[in-house]
Amino acid sequence: MTRQKVKMAFIENEFSRKATYKKRKRGILKKANELATLCGVPVGVIIDSPYDLTPEVWPSREDMDNVLSQWQRLPVMDRTKKMLNQESYLKQSISKATETCKKLTKENKELEMKEVMFDCLSGKTSPPRIEKSDLRGCGNVIEQYLRNLNRRIEILSKNDGASSSSVHAAATTSVAMPIVELGSSSTSFCDMIRQQQIQSNMNQNVRGLDLNQQQW
Amino acid sequence: MVIKNKGRQKIEMVKMKNENNLQVTFSKRRSGLFKKASELCTLCGAEIVVIVFSPGRKVFSFGHPNVDVVIDRFLKINPHHPHQNNNLQLNEACLNAVVQDLNNHLTQVTEQLEEEKKRNEDLKQKRKDDKKSENWWEDPIEGFNLRQLTEFKCGLENFKKTVTTEASKYLQATGHNFYFGSSSNATFGIFDNDGNTNSELDLFNHRRLVDMNTFSGNHQNMIIPHHSTIPYGNNVIERFAPEHNQNQSQYCFKQERASECDRQPDHPPHYRHEYC
Repeated sequence: MTRQKVKMAFIENEFSRKATYKKRKRGILKKANELATLCGVPVGVIIDSPYDLTPEVWPSREDMDNVLSQWQRLPVMDRTKKMLNQESYLKQSISKATETCKKLTKENKELEMKEVMFDCLSGKTSPPRIEKSDLRGCGNVIEQYLRNLNRRIEILSKNDGASSSSVHAAATTSVAMPIVELGSSSTSFCDMIRQQQIQSNMNQNVRGLDLNQQQW
Repeated sequence: MVIKNKGRQKIEMVKMKNENNLQVTFSKRRSGLFKKASELCTLCGAEIVVIVFSPGRKVFSFGHPNVDVVIDRFLKINPHHPHQNNNLQLNEACLNAVVQDLNNHLTQVTEQLEEEKKRNEDLKQKRKDDKKSENWWEDPIEGFNLRQLTEFKCGLENFKKTVTTEASKYLQATGHNFYFGSSSNATFGIFDNDGNTNSELDLFNHRRLVDMNTFSGNHQNMIIPHHSTIPYGNNVIERFAPEHNQNQSQYCFKQERASECDRQPDHPPHYRHEYC
């Protein structure tokens, strides 16, 4: 069922407008009915237009009168708290949509930067080739990751307790690390890790890993 | 075929049993009903009022031109539109113009939102597809053991340095000053207060930071403290937050002279203080 996107503006063509009005009016009344039934709440709708001799009322005149008397019994403040007209409704919708959109944009940027980071780490690309405008975003993601890693390390260290104190010590004290030589055809992070894994497998001493002695 | 949500299933037209679901349904359907009402008004110029009582006995209403006017007219049981004088017509024309504007705006924002949603899905799908890669560090870190965590951390810190240097090279080349710090929200300065992606670089001289923490061709080992005294963390900004001044040898601490900063003519309009 292919639908054409409807432009949200007054329909100039009179016949179109009338037809749309009839369809949509029917639709609204149906939805109002569903809402009232499914949720067991009082609902009242009045629709008026040049195409109707008398205003369309739902559920019925009497029920509408009931709803209205309930309505009028309420203090003015309660009535107006959630009262909307076209202007306020649209403004509300716009701000909600804008808010969601911003959050998504931010999340998307982070996801993108994460991919860039992984690409660098696995050797598919390298920092000099990162888009300059992305450098900061990339740094962001790195920071976030480091923060999370630290948190996890702390948790695990606490849990592990005495048995892996040497690892814990290595993690929490200053670690002397050789710096990656800048400008070299950099060994990728990937290769470094693999090299390390090979070494540690040979060492057969996982727990007592002393990071100070690692060759990067 | 897995049914993702009840939206494509037939539901019974009776009052819902589950309280929570009822509340959620109410929220969604009320919102949808108001949307339909708004569209009807825009498209056909009809007048409408919708009054809805919530399960919690709160009342929601939507009306065009406004709730009270339509109700009053209804109660007086006057079926025809009152004869409008010129003033009323003028007001209405004005209001219509405002509403039309708002509608256009909403359409535009909704389109943007749809685009971002699609992009989000695509990115997440890509990550799923890439999962078969053998790079263990791309998996969620919750599954790492302590050794993996520490290894990854070391590698990342190295990587960070390379990125930093890359950034400072670029800055030195382009003459921008680059702020490379993080607020408590783990942002690296790229997003301003309103969450706008800010690809322009803030005016903040961190040259001293860079010089201290990178190496000009020196292969010295660097002591990296474990915790958040990593450069570019919050602490560093508090300790020294040199701020670019016309005279580069002058530094001021952001926190103390924040107000002065704003008056500096060469500050870009998006200079932010939350980094303090």
